[in-house]
Amino acid sequence: MVIDSGPSLRYGQALRSAIGKVTDKPVVQVLITHHHPDHALGNQAFADAPIAALPGTNAQLAKEGDGLTENMYRMVGDWMRGTQVRVPEQTLEPGVKRFGSHPLRLLAFTGHSGADLAVLDEKTGVLFTGDLVFYQRALTTPHSPGLLQWMEDLQQLQGLPWTLLVPGHGPVSQDRRPFEQMMDYLGWLDDLLRDSAANGLEMNEVIATPIPERFAAVKMSKYELIRSVSHLYPRYEQAAMARVEQ
Amino acid sequence: MTRVPLLLLALCLGAPAHALDPGPDPVPSVMWEFYRKQWIGDEPYRFDQRVKVVAPPFAEDARQVPLQVDARDVPGRVRRMLVWAELNPLPRIVDFAPGPDVLPWLAVRIRIEQATPLRAAVQTEDGVWHVGSTLIDAAGGGCTAPSVVRSQPGWEERLGQVLGGRYPREDFSRLRLSVAHPMDNGLMAGIPEFFIEHAELFDAAGRSLATLELWPAVSENPSLSFDLRRPGPVRLSLRDNNGNAFDAAIE
Repeated sequence: MVIDSGPSLRYGQALRSAIGKVTDKPVVQVLITHHHPDHALGNQAFADAPIAALPGTNAQLAKEGDGLTENMYRMVGDWMRGTQVRVPEQTLEPGVKRFGSHPLRLLAFTGHSGADLAVLDEKTGVLFTGDLVFYQRALTTPHSPGLLQWMEDLQQLQGLPWTLLVPGHGPVSQDRRPFEQMMDYLGWLDDLLRDSAANGLEMNEVIATPIPERFAAVKMSKYELIRSVSHLYPRYEQAAMARVEQ
Repeated sequence: MTRVPLLLLALCLGAPAHALDPGPDPVPSVMWEFYRKQWIGDEPYRFDQRVKVVAPPFAEDARQVPLQVDARDVPGRVRRMLVWAELNPLPRIVDFAPGPDVLPWLAVRIRIEQATPLRAAVQTEDGVWHVGSTLIDAAGGGCTAPSVVRSQPGWEERLGQVLGGRYPREDFSRLRLSVAHPMDNGLMAGIPEFFIEHAELFDAAGRSLATLELWPAVSENPSLSFDLRRPGPVRLSLRDNNGNAFDAAIE
């Protein structure tokens, strides 16, 4: 079983070949945690396996997939050769679903991308968080409904009976540190945007904010702050201003 | 060795203003001369890092790129500020004329069609243009993307609604405004140009504090910020190219 197929046809094929070195068993199911290109554009490499995702993910891929793919071609060019969107043909409902001897608890959240699947293997305690958890790599916000929603999702996730955490980005963990870092970072970002809007800061001034020392190990934080300000700051600004027309 | 600076000084003093050495252009540009001739003409100019054109290194959303121009470090009073995006199909952004009570500083959000130099030419009272520059990278398409405003039902009723705020600083106060308007640039099939072209700030006594001419490289639902030297209520008067007039009052 494969959770997330990667950013391209070529990556999907490499993933298959890596799996082939570990087991000679076939891939029987692919689950896609959310519609972002680095998770859902390797689907073509698994043409012989059923692919499933949350209904919201399939709708987003159908609507935005081509645009997201074009942007990947622009960024990495030939590495994307042959890659096209393949929208999962199956839709998932939250709840426990059995795959072989593994009862998987499928959980639907929204905080990162609007439709975020997390998967808890109840047999082994392994929790696949998708991009609800980034660890040692700055979180991304292009389709987030809001940082407070994301924090609520994480509260629920961390209460599950997991033993091993597999973040969407960053190393696997047996302890709570990825959750702690996420909550800390989300809280910092939310406070920064709210305080900045309340003080009438311009986007470029918010972007220039130094990243706190405690996030020094979080890669790409400067870059992602530029992006997150663009995605999220207008909502905070509107909340901080009043109607003044006459 | 001392004769060279003296000679230079003599040349500077004696030369007509238009002979001012502009210095090297800090950004690679194919369009600088073209637009300089149109908007600065033969008036003296120099590339000047004291005019800070601030934008992110890349446009995360090419339809809403935050741009800030800060000419507070330029000596002398600033009378005009022309801002443009060189490689936009419609390059002009704003022509800002701050009065003595308004700082030579402006923030606005703009559309970017592709990676481009951004320029702000700031004219001081001695007639010299000080040109600030930066580069921004972009996936592009910001000028030709479908309108977000027009996709929202009831946008016509919200036309001209203004959100505003006033934020005290140590020795000035910031005024921020966001106006509901599609700022159509005429590049979408079947949708003619429809944009706010003129804004003016007044104090409580009705005296003009600053004027701002806008072009539709300014993003839809324009976001504008000014820094005012003095506290006190102000009024913003807006006019679009269809003759609609909007007013907003901020304490």
